Amino acid sequence: MAKVEPILYGDRKVFTVSSFNHGIASYLGRLPAVWVEGEVTELRRNEAWATVFLTLKDPKTGATLKATIGRRTFDRLELALEEGETVHVSGRAELYELKGELGLRATTVERIGLGGHLLALERLKRQLAAEGLFAPARKRSLPRLPRAVGILTGADAAARGDLVATIGARFPAAKVVICEARVQGKGAPAAIVAALAALAAHPEVDVVVLARGGGSFEDLLPFSDEAVVRAVAATSVPVVSAVGHEQDTPLCDLAADARAATPTAAGALVVPDLSELSTALESSRRRLALAVRNALERDAERVERLGERLRAAPRLLLERRRSGLDHTGARLQTLSPLATLDRGYAVVRAGAVALRDASTVSLGDRLEIELASGALGARVEDVRA
Amino acid sequence: MTEDRAFEELQKELEDIVARLERGDVAVDDAIALFRRGEELYKTCVERLQGAELQIEELAPPPTES
Repeated sequence: MAKVEPILYGDRKVFTVSSFNHGIASYLGRLPAVWVEGEVTELRRNEAWATVFLTLKDPKTGATLKATIGRRTFDRLELALEEGETVHVSGRAELYELKGELGLRATTVERIGLGGHLLALERLKRQLAAEGLFAPARKRSLPRLPRAVGILTGADAAARGDLVATIGARFPAAKVVICEARVQGKGAPAAIVAALAALAAHPEVDVVVLARGGGSFEDLLPFSDEAVVRAVAATSVPVVSAVGHEQDTPLCDLAADARAATPTAAGALVVPDLSELSTALESSRRRLALAVRNALERDAERVERLGERLRAAPRLLLERRRSGLDHTGARLQTLSPLATLDRGYAVVRAGAVALRDASTVSLGDRLEIELASGALGARVEDVRA
Repeated sequence: MTEDRAFEELQKELEDIVARLERGDVAVDDAIALFRRGEELYKTCVERLQGAELQIEELAPPPTES
């Protein structure tokens, strides 16, 4: 291997490619061993080779890393590893000097176990929850009667059959659009995401059901895949998650707008019961007829009342006038002196003038006394002034 | 235009019309127009409900990488 010795061009130190690579390689060689998690996207093993070549991928960013492990070491692990599986690889950074390629020289590979999956799932769940992906406020309500129900299913006859049967029984006029996608194993997340998008893009699909029967924890993992969970939350129509059994809670359940424990329950969520709907419609129609009749009757009554008031108006006017007249008459009566005479008073006149003062008459003067009824003639006999 | 809308929108409009008429704050001419519209909505809704058999459309799964 070339030594890291620069060539001198005057003041300039220049390294050959080999010495540069070698320098970097020995620098990298001093880094500690680490564990790296990644998805195996390529696995090349050949009996004739001393080394097994792996490509690891970060499913989130797509970043890749080449890893190598001795074939004998690899074979002793008896992993029967397949592409698409997530592994933990322990090793050191290594530079393949001939190509200047960075790699990971592995000493061991472990398939990520149930515990690892659970931890990763828990971490993803916390992260997505913190982003608000599972927030109740995000949940959309399901259409009462979708023009078509999109069904995303695997080649899982039972889940699909239950769902379609329930929809048909509740609402015979329904339409379903079924997209069969690979729902387990490698490539399932991408297939689910693509099928979801295709269903949501269908012009009549107003709601999508993810229908997947029960399965092992690993079988259901694609439904907790980050890309799938995000796609469920981002789908343009509401999504119902009917994945696994009651006790399973794949993350897509949390991101979906509604969750159903079984495909049958999902069917009941996405289409109404025809008889209930018909009853509601008939009731609306009855109320419509009644309401319009009431509205018209109310108006007719109002017109009728107006007519009555119109006809009564002249009579009312006369009565009001008459009562006004009576009132004036009564006031006139109280002002008339005749009323006073009625109570026993009399008007005494000497000539034309009503007497107010005794001193204005003399003995023997003739007086006229007017009573309430009739009048008297009299003479003054004495005066007490 | 009625035909394009989702069933639930039509049913909602019908229910709104009934509610308006029941409140009784509409003019006579409007009441009659609303009633006619309500009847039309009712008929459309019923027709939708009495549609044909369950329709099943298969959508080919879109190709994905790998």
